[in-house]
Formats: sequence, C-alpha cells, structure tokens
Amino acid sequence: MRKAVAVMAAKLAEAAAKTVGRHGSSLPGVVALKICPDILRRFAEEIGEIVVVLGTNGKTTTNNMTADIFEGLGRSAVCNRIGSNLLGGVAAAFIDAASPVGTIKKDVACLEIDEAYAHIVLSYLHPSGIAVTNVFRDQMDRYGEIDTTIEQLRIALEKAPDAKLILNADDPLTASLGVGRKNTVYYGISEDLGAQPGETRDGRYCRLCGTELTYAYRQYGQLGDYRCEGCGFSRPTPQVEGVRVSLGDRASFDVNGTHVDLPCRGIYNVYNALAAFALAESCGVPREAIAAGLGRFRGQVGRMEEFTIGGKTVVFNLAKNPAGMDRSIGNVLADTRTKDVVIGINDNDADGNDVSWLWDAEFEKLNDPTVCGYCVTGIRAKDMAVRLKYCDLAPERIAVFDSVRDAVLKAVRGQGERVYVIVNYTMLLSTEKILRALEEESK
Amino acid sequence: MTLTIAHLYPDLLNLYGDIGNVKTIVKRCQWRGIDVCTVPIVGDEKIRFDRIDLAVLGGGSDREQLLVRDKLLARKRELAAYVEDGGAVLAVCGGYQLLGSWYKTKEETIEGLQILDVQTETGDGRLIGNVVIENDAFGTIVGFENHGGRTFINGHTPLGRVLAGCGNNGQDGTEGVIWRNVVATYLHGSLLPKNPRLCDHIIRSMLLRRGVSEELAPLDDTLELEAHRYIEERTLRRK
Repeated sequence: MRKAVAVMAAKLAEAAAKTVGRHGSSLPGVVALKICPDILRRFAEEIGEIVVVLGTNGKTTTNNMTADIFEGLGRSAVCNRIGSNLLGGVAAAFIDAASPVGTIKKDVACLEIDEAYAHIVLSYLHPSGIAVTNVFRDQMDRYGEIDTTIEQLRIALEKAPDAKLILNADDPLTASLGVGRKNTVYYGISEDLGAQPGETRDGRYCRLCGTELTYAYRQYGQLGDYRCEGCGFSRPTPQVEGVRVSLGDRASFDVNGTHVDLPCRGIYNVYNALAAFALAESCGVPREAIAAGLGRFRGQVGRMEEFTIGGKTVVFNLAKNPAGMDRSIGNVLADTRTKDVVIGINDNDADGNDVSWLWDAEFEKLNDPTVCGYCVTGIRAKDMAVRLKYCDLAPERIAVFDSVRDAVLKAVRGQGERVYVIVNYTMLLSTEKILRALEEESK
Repeated sequence: MTLTIAHLYPDLLNLYGDIGNVKTIVKRCQWRGIDVCTVPIVGDEKIRFDRIDLAVLGGGSDREQLLVRDKLLARKRELAAYVEDGGAVLAVCGGYQLLGSWYKTKEETIEGLQILDVQTETGDGRLIGNVVIENDAFGTIVGFENHGGRTFINGHTPLGRVLAGCGNNGQDGTEGVIWRNVVATYLHGSLLPKNPRLCDHIIRSMLLRRGVSEELAPLDDTLELEAHRYIEERTLRRK
C-alpha cells in the first residue's frame, strides 16, 4: 500500500515538474523514498534478475549497453539510462518502469550506482552480477581521495557476497577488489595497443603491498599489463578477453571467438563493451546475442554523440575528471582532421565544486596544429580560459562565452573541418538540447 | 642562469591539481625569457638543496604523506638550512602540514619536519569550499580548501586573513603561513594560476636569492584576473 502511494506521489511530482519545465531525473525517486524508504527492496522483489554497474568512468555506457543487450533478446529492462545514480535516481528508474500503483512487469533491472551510495542500495537489492569498470580520481571534494573510493566499493561489495563480480583485469585498482573473492570474472584487453598512455597519477602502487607496479605495457592511465615485484600481485588472466582490437572511427574486437563491431569509438568503449559482455554472459545470454546487442548500441547523451550542424560534424563528449578529459583530448587528436574545440566546465555539486582537476588534465596536447580555435563556456569558463592560456595558447585565440549556443556557433563557423564539444556533468543535458536544436535549425 | 624547481614526490603528492602551480611558475618565467627547469624528485633520489631555487610540496592521501615525511625526515637539516638561506618553498595542504611540528590524528601523533612552528589536529568533518583571503602585499587570494586537519600557526604571519571560507582552522580567521620565502597554504585551485601577484612574488624571491634584482617584466594578466574576480565575487556574495 505504502509503495503504491509512494509511486503515485512520485509520478504526480514528476508530471508537475514537467509542466513547469523542470526535468530533474531523480525527483520522482526522491519523493518516493520519502514516503516509502525501503521502496527499493519492494521493487526488487518483483524483478527476476538484477545487474549493477559500479566504477568511476563508463558506468552509464556499460549499463546502457547491458540493457540494450537484454532488450535485444526481447526482455524488458528497468534502467537508469541517463545516469542518475544516487538513491533517488535508482528509485526513479523503477518508478519510471512501474504502473501508476507501483507494479513492475519488467524482468530485468540494469542499474548504475554511485560508489558512495552503493552500500545502501545493495542492502535493499541482491544483484546476480556486479561489474566494476575502473577506479580513477573523480570529484575530489566529494570523495577526498582514491583510497576512499576503493574503500566505498569494498564496503558495497561486501553487501553482495553471492553476486558474480565482474572486474576490469587491466586496472590494478579494480582488480584488487577481487582478491580473496570467489565467483569473480575478469575482463580485459590482452594485447598492447601501442597507445600513448600519458600519466598514471593514481594506482601506480600495489594496493596489497605498496610497491610500485611494473608494466609490460600500459593502455591508458594505470590500465595495462602490470605486475608487482614486491608481492606477485599481477593482472589476472581475463576470462572475457578482448583481442584483435581495432580503433578508428568505429571500434571492433574479438572476444572468446566472437566478433564485435561497435557503433562507437575509443578504447574506453572497448572496455565498456567488454564489461557489458561479461555481465550479460554471466546472466546466461549467448555470445552471438551479446555481439548483436552491442552492435546496435546507441550511445547515451554525450558519449561521443554526433550531430550535423551547418554542414559540419559536431562530436559531443562528456568529461568529468582528468582521466575522462584525457580520453576526450585523445579522441580529438586521434582524428586527423582539423577541428575547433568547445570546452564547457561547470562546478555544481554534481560536478565537484573544486576545479583544480583541470590542471591534472593534459590540455597541453590541444595545442596542436590540427586544432584551429578554442571556445570555453560553462560556469567556470574563465578558469578554463586560464588553463588554456597556460598551455601556451594566445589569449586572442581563446573565446569565452556565457552562452553555450554562442560558443558552439562560433566553433561551427571556425576554420576546422569538425567541431568537438566537451562538457562536464551538469552541462550534459542542456548542451545536448542546444546541439539538437542547432542541428534542426540548420537542416 | 636557470632557475630550478624541485617538485618533491609528484607521484605521491599530487592529489589536487597542484601541478598547476608548477605549470604556472614555469610559464610565467618562460614568457619573460627566464630559463627555468623542473626536476621531479621521486623515490630515494638525493635532493641537492644547494642547486634548487624552489621546492614544491603538494598534498596526498594520508598514506602517501607518511611515506614522503619519512623520506624528508632524513633531510630535515638540509631543508632547514635551505629555508634559513632564503630558499623558496611552496607547500600546499599535506605539504604544509608536513612542514610543521606535528600532526595529530585520532590514532596517533605524527612528527613533522619542524620547519614551521605550526601544529595540526584532525577535527570533526572536513573544511571544504571556496576561499577568499586578504594579504596586504598581494591583495585578495582565491582558492579552494579541502582538509580535515585544523592547523594553528602561533606567532607566524598568515598568508592571509579569511574573508570567506575556513582557512587554517575555521576559528582564528587565518589561512596558511608566509615566513621567509616559504609560502604554505591549504589552498588548491590550483593556487597560483588565479593569483598571479603571489606567483610573481615567488619568482621574484627566487631571482633575488640569485642576485638578480631587476623588476620582473609585467605580463598581461587579464584572463587570470577575470577568473580571480569571478570566483572572488561569487564566493563573497554567497558566504
């Protein structure tokens, strides 16, 4: 009864908010939790299979890929697709899938959860599989440091001792979570992709004994084929093993004899796909079906989304921490065409109020002959302008805009063949709307 | 003449974008035609204090800070002599705490390098947020703090008086310490990019110690000051 009331109130609240133009994706969840605090437990009782995705970067893509795989089989999924992953967001995903009185007729739930809240959610629902994508430094002013993140993940995983744990073998920080745990499946890329790995920043030291790790090769950040000479901790051989990886405008790879063509690019999407592969396979989905689902994957907002504006391809990407920003910068440079770049930085609570992280990202690489123009926008545009200036870019080349629309238009009218738009978290939905509108207008 | 910046243990103490301070100093020297090089000091490498002009110490996790402290304790006397001689030091957050007498957590008291007469204790919760402080010589300084330690600075001159934010301990209205050519602070941001006057002060102190007393060529700090003004105004407005 309480659950029905909670869901009704939540749906009313959502409808009311929409009429005044507010689209907070976790609002209905927050409302429902107030009325029925253990609503997640009650929803979980109605769902046959639950899988969860944790980790710093790639949760939304991995979770969406997994949901797409299930839906490709004709199964219906509860999924917090946009990426609202705090308590309210997770609850909102169920409410969205529920009838007005709160009954759910979906047979699987695919949920991404923020690491700080995972231990709470996992006390209410019992997933059959949990994937952890990676651990990178993220919003420092929320979490303090990477040790905290790993600790939060560890505490969360202890709540689900029976779940199959799917871990990124190539990330020593993530792989360390599997030590001493049975029922673990590792995924990874088992070849040196010859990448320019950039800085490691975190995770250089063995989590078990503190010795600096040695690498046969690094893919990016602290990911690669590592070994600790101190205690022998090393990259586990992945059961879900990606090989013959091809990176270009679209990525592809083979995994355990099955070929996968991804409709998206970037090494991190190969990792995301491998995570989704392992998660779906642990639920009994056949490999060919997984490959088909991945092949049809339509990325979520701001994950290398492409728009055509003024005749130019505009590539839109989210970057919310140094690792993600470095990957976005890598994408910009991997594209040999000339381009104009728009970077938008907010400092709302969900972004992290501290913009120091900008100095940990390798923007210096954007000082490249193929980059013709630089536009900055967002609440902390001026900080981003300073950041670019200290990459030896003349101030005259850095255009500062209050309006995201004006920033994009300036870039579209620039000298480059393409435009890359990179924004952080709270700019995501509004920027996507603007890009969509500009695309419509220029048709 | 080349100025040498020793970036101490950047693999262990680089929690918060503090590398931005090194980048800022390097560029502001290069743009003035001043030769500068950065030497990262890692592991058990020797630090030739007689060959450096600035030592930069960032913040790290508790575990990393302890590792650094042990390495530096072995060089306490050389570091003290360097500071005595007017050697420049920029210490942020954990690096600042390390320069003090001790740091007390709930479990233990950790001995510091005893360069500064400051003591730090962990308190309840963390002091996190945008900060604006005022310094008579440099004007306002803006940054972002995030620390669990409350530091008390006794008779030391603070880097600034707190106009918004918590500062050293949330009680006495001080932030950081400035003593000889040591600038120690809890401010990230990074600190120097939006505070060019402070950055130039550090550069000037390095040059003076090398016997170079000419005025620093002025730079066009429009972008830096605009970024500074934005966050200062917003932080003061919302306090």
